[in-house]
Amino acid sequence: MIRDFKYFAPKTLREALALLDKYKENCKLIAGGQSLLILMRQGLVTPEYLIDIKGISELNYIKSDAKGGLRIGALTTHRTIEKSPVIQGSFDILAKMEKRLASIQTRSWGTIGGNLCHGDPAGDPAPVLIALNATLTAVSLKGKRNMAIEDFTVDYFETALKPDEILTEIQIPVIPSHIGTAYTKFNIIESDLAMVGAAVSITLASGDGICQDVRIALGAVASTPMRAKEAEAVLRGKKVTDNLLKKAGQVASTEAKPISDIQASEEYRRELVKILVYRAGKEALAKAKQT
Amino acid sequence: MSKYSVIGKRVRRVDGPEKVTGNAKYTFDMVLPNMLYGKILRSPYPHAKILNIDTSQAEKLIGVKAVVTGKDTIGRKQGIWRRFPELCDEEILCRTKVRYIGDPVAAVAAIDEDIAEEALDLIEVEYEPLPAVFDPLEAIKEDALQIHDGVELNINVTRHIEWGDVDDAFRHCDYIREDQFKCSSQAHVCMETHDAVASFSYDGNLTVWTSTQSSYYIQALLAGMLDLRESDVRVIKPHTGGGFGSKFELDSAQFCASLLSMKLCRPVKIVLTREEEFTATKRRTPMYYYVKLGAKKDGTLLAKEVKAITEGGAYTAMGATALYLTGFFSSLPYKYPNYRFDGYRVYTNTAPTSAMRGFGGPQATFVGESQLDMLAEALGIDPIEIRRKNGMTPNYEVPGQAYIQSCGLQQCLEKIEAHIKERGKLPPNRGIGISAYGFMSGGIFNWFDTSYAFSAAIVRISIDGKVDLFTGACDIGQGSDTTLSMICAEELGVHLEDIRIHAADTGICPADLGAWGSRETLMNGNAVKMAAADAKRQILEFAAAKLGANIVYDLDIKDRWVHLADRPERGLSYFDIVKEVIRGKDGEVIIGRGHYTPHRKGMISPAYSFGVQAAEVEVDPDTGKYKLINVATAHESGTVINPLGIEGQLEGAIMMAAGYGFCEDQPMDAGKILNPSIADYKLIRSLDMPETKILEVDTYEPEGPFGAKEAGEGLTCPTAGAIGNAIYRAVGVRINELPITPEKVFKALREKGKQGK
Amino acid sequence: MKEELRLTVNGQAYELYIKPKTLLVEVLRDHLGLTGTKRGCNCGSCGACTVVLNDMAVKSCSVLALQANGGEVITIEGLANGAQLHPLQKAFLDYGAFQCGFCTSGMLMSVKALLDENPKPTTEQIKEGIDGNMCRCTGYNSIIRALTAVVKGEYKEEK
Repeated sequence: MIRDFKYFAPKTLREALALLDKYKENCKLIAGGQSLLILMRQGLVTPEYLIDIKGISELNYIKSDAKGGLRIGALTTHRTIEKSPVIQGSFDILAKMEKRLASIQTRSWGTIGGNLCHGDPAGDPAPVLIALNATLTAVSLKGKRNMAIEDFTVDYFETALKPDEILTEIQIPVIPSHIGTAYTKFNIIESDLAMVGAAVSITLASGDGICQDVRIALGAVASTPMRAKEAEAVLRGKKVTDNLLKKAGQVASTEAKPISDIQASEEYRRELVKILVYRAGKEALAKAKQT
Repeated sequence: MSKYSVIGKRVRRVDGPEKVTGNAKYTFDMVLPNMLYGKILRSPYPHAKILNIDTSQAEKLIGVKAVVTGKDTIGRKQGIWRRFPELCDEEILCRTKVRYIGDPVAAVAAIDEDIAEEALDLIEVEYEPLPAVFDPLEAIKEDALQIHDGVELNINVTRHIEWGDVDDAFRHCDYIREDQFKCSSQAHVCMETHDAVASFSYDGNLTVWTSTQSSYYIQALLAGMLDLRESDVRVIKPHTGGGFGSKFELDSAQFCASLLSMKLCRPVKIVLTREEEFTATKRRTPMYYYVKLGAKKDGTLLAKEVKAITEGGAYTAMGATALYLTGFFSSLPYKYPNYRFDGYRVYTNTAPTSAMRGFGGPQATFVGESQLDMLAEALGIDPIEIRRKNGMTPNYEVPGQAYIQSCGLQQCLEKIEAHIKERGKLPPNRGIGISAYGFMSGGIFNWFDTSYAFSAAIVRISIDGKVDLFTGACDIGQGSDTTLSMICAEELGVHLEDIRIHAADTGICPADLGAWGSRETLMNGNAVKMAAADAKRQILEFAAAKLGANIVYDLDIKDRWVHLADRPERGLSYFDIVKEVIRGKDGEVIIGRGHYTPHRKGMISPAYSFGVQAAEVEVDPDTGKYKLINVATAHESGTVINPLGIEGQLEGAIMMAAGYGFCEDQPMDAGKILNPSIADYKLIRSLDMPETKILEVDTYEPEGPFGAKEAGEGLTCPTAGAIGNAIYRAVGVRINELPITPEKVFKALREKGKQGK
Repeated sequence: MKEELRLTVNGQAYELYIKPKTLLVEVLRDHLGLTGTKRGCNCGSCGACTVVLNDMAVKSCSVLALQANGGEVITIEGLANGAQLHPLQKAFLDYGAFQCGFCTSGMLMSVKALLDENPKPTTEQIKEGIDGNMCRCTGYNSIIRALTAVVKGEYKEEK
């Protein structure tokens, strides 16, 4: 049962920030509400004031920046991202990830910003964005700040956003040649959340197949989406072979901190990390070699 | 050319237009003037004494009109096995003790749902928690606590089935194997949760609209629990959003809504939440199976010995039937000369286990078909061959148990064999597994202790030839409204659109035992056919006179044309003759009556349907995850009355049965179901559903209307076994515990790798 | 305190005053009496409540009514054209694409939105289109057959 609340529907970012500043901890922002409304209906979240930012059109956009990178407004829906020709062109991994996120209905109303702010470690976007070296912008009346996506989620369903801040934009740098990115998630039912997710991005130094840089992001195996930095170190600066990828998977599985729950045991999740990192790594490597 | 005019045709469902336009009204949609909304308070403990319930604060909440507890009932216990008082063990609204998490203790009626929910928080219940037991293997021990007074070792029901001499037969076997299996629970997940609108009026009559599979059972059980005359209770079934076995027993929504309504003389509506649906309605019976199977080296099965210990949950419900049926289904579909089953249903402090589509069949078939494949492999015999050798054939008697008349099992095996050949050589890590089944067409048992015919029908023909068909059959989606209308139209010789069906309103329709055990087509179909034949006979009497036909001629009606059967050109319009019949009867409408109760049809059922299924899976050997590629089913259900209906039932059964094998489960912790939501309880969706192929085998069942018998429930039996067998053929590991999750496959593969197999 | 909601539903304009916590599905079912749209869960998973909002299929249990302010909603009641059934409804009837019918309203709205956006979806796209709609009766394949028939032109509307 949802508790009564007072409702605001600001039409501009400025208005929304003013309301946030006024009501601080007593209020909650709602964008698409695809996650929030479930919590509110179960009585787990009971704000006195609800600030509906879904109508703030100035935060709904997909733009290329000067260098060809991507700027996505936080209120862009998953479906818009999924179907955007710009994204399908140069950032196809994002479109692919969105395609398997929940259902069309959820994607049509839910937003990328809302998803990130929900802070679910099993969510799909975060690991992919981490692998893409994305950053985001949070704005308050006091000003704005940027941070890396990997620093955004701090604990289960908790983000680094301050009570007076709104997430406004996600920035993804251009993907130059010799970089390949892949995301794979393990689930039993196709549209389910990841039981384990792995996103890998490999940068090859031109020509010689040496891994210049690598990012390995894992979902659903810790209290937040996490980077497997030790696993990355296995690959960085080396020639990426099949065996090396397997080793990276192995290291990632020890770095991960999965739990046992009704879906899977901790042990199985670790095994899946091994396999998924290897597979995503292999796919990323193949893509990197092609570009 | 078909000899039938209506049956066998692909027709639109008679309730179709209502459903595709959103006009169909379900109990879920009902709003009556002056109606209140109810909510139920349930025990958070798996086992506890109720010391005191203080409802005073809840009663004071503005908007709350009544609160009831066990003290407001007449203190009776009920159960669907009415003939055995010791099995009528459920109070529903508990008076002194709760026995599972979710057991109801109080109910509130208020002006809206929110207030009713708030009021629940204000009811103070003082419990004295008791030790609890959750596993039947623990509950059956000498030192286990007693869940129901006087029930030793918590053994609720036992069942023994035997023929031949199993012990002697094993001595003559060349090969014997013993295996253990564990079959899981499963939730029905009807799209419409349990709900009821109860309205008690000042004239002492209670009317209840409810989503149900048997309005008659609900009527009788409610009357018993409320001390009302049975016929002062009227139960009406609006469109119903699924049942699958969960909705033919008296449930907490119906009982509490009725109790509250009786107190207030106002309608009260209770709709269970999805969480209540998962935790506090009944579910499939989990079973531990211990099976010993013996054969000669040529593959002839000689003996099978089965012991099953089932998790009963807190109350008997229909669990006794599940126990009995799993015992019989464990012998299907093969000719065992010697067989023995001993089943024990054991009380536990968990949600009661009862009836779910397949009714012990999916469990028995998973176990039997897995073990048979293992035996075949050990003997070096092809899986199809061993089934062919031992499979049932028409006119076979199961000693002392059943007489199987029609049986198309052999033809089903042939079709599946051809299908497998067609699939050709499979890529690595892919396998096809088969599984054969047999299933009943309704049960012969009368443990409900009804004095009514099991099914009955009334046909009423008005002056313009329109036919009103009255039946107690409950269409819960399986299409009985359409199937029975088709049978009526066929028998009477009119068109489907001439029939208007009135179903499952106990105030105007005859009693019917309901939609379970796959009985509607055969039992109700026979009753409807008889009623239509009765009406037709009255028409033909007049037609014979009108036509002045020679005594050697028979008359018939086809396509609204009443005619001489051998000289169809001599006849008259059905519409014309009906007018004359009514005139001849002093202006009374034509009434035809029919009924059906199985007599001397063995111990289980008048007729059985059979089938063989082949499931093709592809396993990812690194993760253990597998994909269902293709499920082909060869089955026979006698004459197919409603082909579109049967196809739908078959594909729907695959979704449910594959789910049972593959992903559906209700993990518990100390009696608490851990995944009571559609997000967490894994269900097959469109992207997960395999390709389905339907291979019809033609048979004719003398017991059934126009030769028809069951379809739709038997089809939930084979899939788990087929999947298990397919995984074995794909990657060489066998899982004996349902559901077969990727993690189990992964662990088995790793074990196999370690052993260097 | 109640807020004003202006909504067009099935072509009809409405002005309502509702508590802000009211969900779109509650406005449709309880305030406007359009009970064709159903509810089957409490966690936005089953899809029985799917309607078309501003040309998109959405779960009306997971949309605050006020978020649809000024918007256009089509529910199952708006699919047929008076007594003339929509091709999708005819196809559902002919292909047996429903049984108990409880998921059917939501299913039809999902497929309507799908076909309005893309009149020639592939089988894979059809499956994706209905993946958010739980059905416990049909096993989905009959629904896919019904849609495929519509896509192939079997139900070209009579001129």
